[in-house]
Amino acid sequence: MNVIELNNLTKTYGKARGISNISFTVEEGEIFGFIGPNGAGKSTTIRTMLSLIYPTSGSATIFGKDSVKFAPEIKKEIGYLPSEVFYYDNMKVKDLLKYSGSFYKKDCSQRIKQLAELLDLDLNKKIDDLSFGNKKKVGIVQGLLHEPKLIILDEPTSGLDPLMQQKFFDLLKEENKKGTTILFSSHILSEVQKMCDRVAIIKEGELVKVEKISTLKENNHKRFKLETKAPMPQGFLQIAGVQNLEIDGLHVSFLYSGNINLMLQKLAQLELLNLWIEEPDLEEIFMHYYEKGN
Amino acid sequence: MNIFLHELKDNRKSTIIWTLSLVAVVVLFMALFPSIAKDSEAFKKVLENYPESLRKAIGMSLDSITSLLGFYSYVFTYVVLCGAIQAMNLGVSMLSKETREKTADFLLTKPVTRTQIVTAKLLAAVVSLILSNLVVIMAALVAAQAVSERSFDTKAFLLISLTAFFVECMFLALGILISVLVPKIKSVLPLSLGTVFGFFILNMFGSVIGDKAVRYLTPFKYYDPGYISKHQTYEIRFIVIEVIFIIVAVTASYFIYAKKDIHAV
Repeated sequence: MNVIELNNLTKTYGKARGISNISFTVEEGEIFGFIGPNGAGKSTTIRTMLSLIYPTSGSATIFGKDSVKFAPEIKKEIGYLPSEVFYYDNMKVKDLLKYSGSFYKKDCSQRIKQLAELLDLDLNKKIDDLSFGNKKKVGIVQGLLHEPKLIILDEPTSGLDPLMQQKFFDLLKEENKKGTTILFSSHILSEVQKMCDRVAIIKEGELVKVEKISTLKENNHKRFKLETKAPMPQGFLQIAGVQNLEIDGLHVSFLYSGNINLMLQKLAQLELLNLWIEEPDLEEIFMHYYEKGN
Repeated sequence: MNIFLHELKDNRKSTIIWTLSLVAVVVLFMALFPSIAKDSEAFKKVLENYPESLRKAIGMSLDSITSLLGFYSYVFTYVVLCGAIQAMNLGVSMLSKETREKTADFLLTKPVTRTQIVTAKLLAAVVSLILSNLVVIMAALVAAQAVSERSFDTKAFLLISLTAFFVECMFLALGILISVLVPKIKSVLPLSLGTVFGFFILNMFGSVIGDKAVRYLTPFKYYDPGYISKHQTYEIRFIVIEVIFIIVAVTASYFIYAKKDIHAV
């Protein structure tokens, strides 16, 4: 069964860019990544799915129901963690979570206790006195306390230290094992790679591609930067898999996908002063997808 | 129900402060009454020296100011003014505070309809106003009985006192309507002060020029204490206007809010 189905979802604002014709499906039990640079339209898509904003055209279907028409019904089974968490400042954590739980027709107190313990969250503090990271934890508990069937996370890891991130990911994986579907939006490729089965890549409001993480790993791109002692011979790097070659005197940089050993053997023929091999940033991966599209 | 209770709790502090301030205004003003009643002739003479237009603007009437109801009517102008600000504040902030304090994402992703949210918040605001009015009216009645040597018309007194709530309801409705129409409200108080004082000044202006049309434009003129103490009732056409205005404003607010995009912070 498809938990999420977007059909040509479009949202346009007056001047600002929205999203246009986004279509993808997320199956039950999947951890689905939603990735794109800041301002690409990730949040707009998610907010439309939650009917915080309404689509200009197209539709979103969640649990097989239209997201606008059946909004309250659908939301019973959705846990949402926004990218920036803000709650009623003068409330205690405990009271806020109780208030949050009171919207669902089940007893959440056990679950709240359990999650707070796991995340090391002090329930008796005032929201106002919490650090950013701790507020984020309140957000996590708030999103999970009613054991939703679909968890929607909008850039969830900002503000969490690496240890807490790991705990959080473990928690999500555990939920996923119980059959919970997760939509995970992020601009950090590595965390999406770690978590997700499939990803949708979005840029400038348009869906670039939906791809399996395993495929994404196969066309693993590396950014090579090197400094040579003498200028590199003309056409030295004209081999398959080299892209965006830039030569600036003794400095050379390019993207490479393919057999690393071949490349290293090739480079060994040069006399190098320095060599960097890096993960390309997202922007470059996106460029790659655009080029492919053309 | 949970939103209603949460909202009531959220209103508690400001409601208590407004109520106490209003009680203070009423009690302090009423405490002046004995000295005015004692030297009523002298007081009237002083007032006579004031330009007539000024007396009209501040709502003083020479014929009645030295009677308890007359004096109360004058004091009451300011109670209504403060109450209107209180109600307008409640109305404007009711829905806009969720956006301003960035809690809209929390509330609106819960399994409730926007209509339910507006209803719960509206009820909480009305209950806050009712409680506030009950306390102020009781304080006013006690103060009036304490300062008045002769008995006075309690029914007229209560009928006049109740009109504060009627005027507040109008400003509450107006506040809600404004809050769903204005895209981003950064702070509530300047907006509500500006609006309420605008109507209040219109009211003073209307009293000076004595134009009948102005009566329909400002809620402060809907319930004339002079008419109420004379006839022991309200002018029905203004009640009708008020009810129509509230129904239109609140219905429109429900409709607009349900269709509104809630943008990210």
